[in-house]
Amino acid sequence: MAEKRALSSAVVYRDPAAALKWLEAAFSFETTLLIEDADGNLAHAQMAWGDSLVMVGSEWTAEHKSPASIDGLMTQTVHIQLADGDGTVDAHCERARQAGAVIVAEPDMQFYGDRTYRCKDPEGHIWTVSQTLLQIAPDQWDTGDMGLKATIYKA
Amino acid sequence: MASRVMVALRVKASPGRAFEAFTAEIGQWWKPNPLFAFTPRAPGVLSFEGTERLIETRDGGKVFEIGRIQVWEPGVRLVVDWRQATFTPGMATQVEVTFEAVGDETRVTVTHTGWDSVPKAHAAKHGFPDTAFLARHGEWWRTLLGSLRAHLG
Repeated sequence: MAEKRALSSAVVYRDPAAALKWLEAAFSFETTLLIEDADGNLAHAQMAWGDSLVMVGSEWTAEHKSPASIDGLMTQTVHIQLADGDGTVDAHCERARQAGAVIVAEPDMQFYGDRTYRCKDPEGHIWTVSQTLLQIAPDQWDTGDMGLKATIYKA
Repeated sequence: MASRVMVALRVKASPGRAFEAFTAEIGQWWKPNPLFAFTPRAPGVLSFEGTERLIETRDGGKVFEIGRIQVWEPGVRLVVDWRQATFTPGMATQVEVTFEAVGDETRVTVTHTGWDSVPKAHAAKHGFPDTAFLARHGEWWRTLLGSLRAHLG
């Protein structure tokens, strides 16, 4: 369950309360912490996905902006990795679509063995969703004519 | 609108078992927190007295009534009033706990409301800005629910 993690993302929304509902409907995230102030405004929220968490907040300073406030731009995206028991990427995509996600890239196989899709939530954040279907070592990746070369640096 | 602290997590138990553990066994998993003490004295042991009230019993046997139980629906929902000894009339908070089956687990959700009735300058708020106080309180509830989950194994 999602307690505080060494690393987690905080995603900014103009309407974070609506975002909580949407993220639950689209991605099955579960709200695990919600703080609302005396005016009923969302002050802080955390949602759980597997053993990870994502924080959901408002545009609480002039430097925190939703893509909806800055012409759809963003500097980071959040990646959702489905485990074997989490259903398929295609089913995930359909659920997100039903919830109103704009599918930016339909589910497709990637050269590294994952099936992925990419979507935008109602405020324009891009989320990528992926699941490993084929275990392929990096030196076996079918990069075709992409000109990519995989190098693994040992820790 | 009013302020609200909501904390939820899943426990590996049925809603009925989770409700039983939350109520009948609260003395086993509850952990006092000096920031949110019910009385100025050393903390005691919490228990639900029938379906009437939630109390804290100190070492010497003295009982402090935390609050009356407003809703008692085993396996579904519990609502209990929640006050500290230093609250004056008009100050009142309330805790709602819901139990919702999710697969073979149960999602336990605690929603604590009413802290707006306690003035910012009151000792119970320790001088924290409101949202900081609520955030600390939420973290404490999360610790408590984590303890409940560990208790349920």
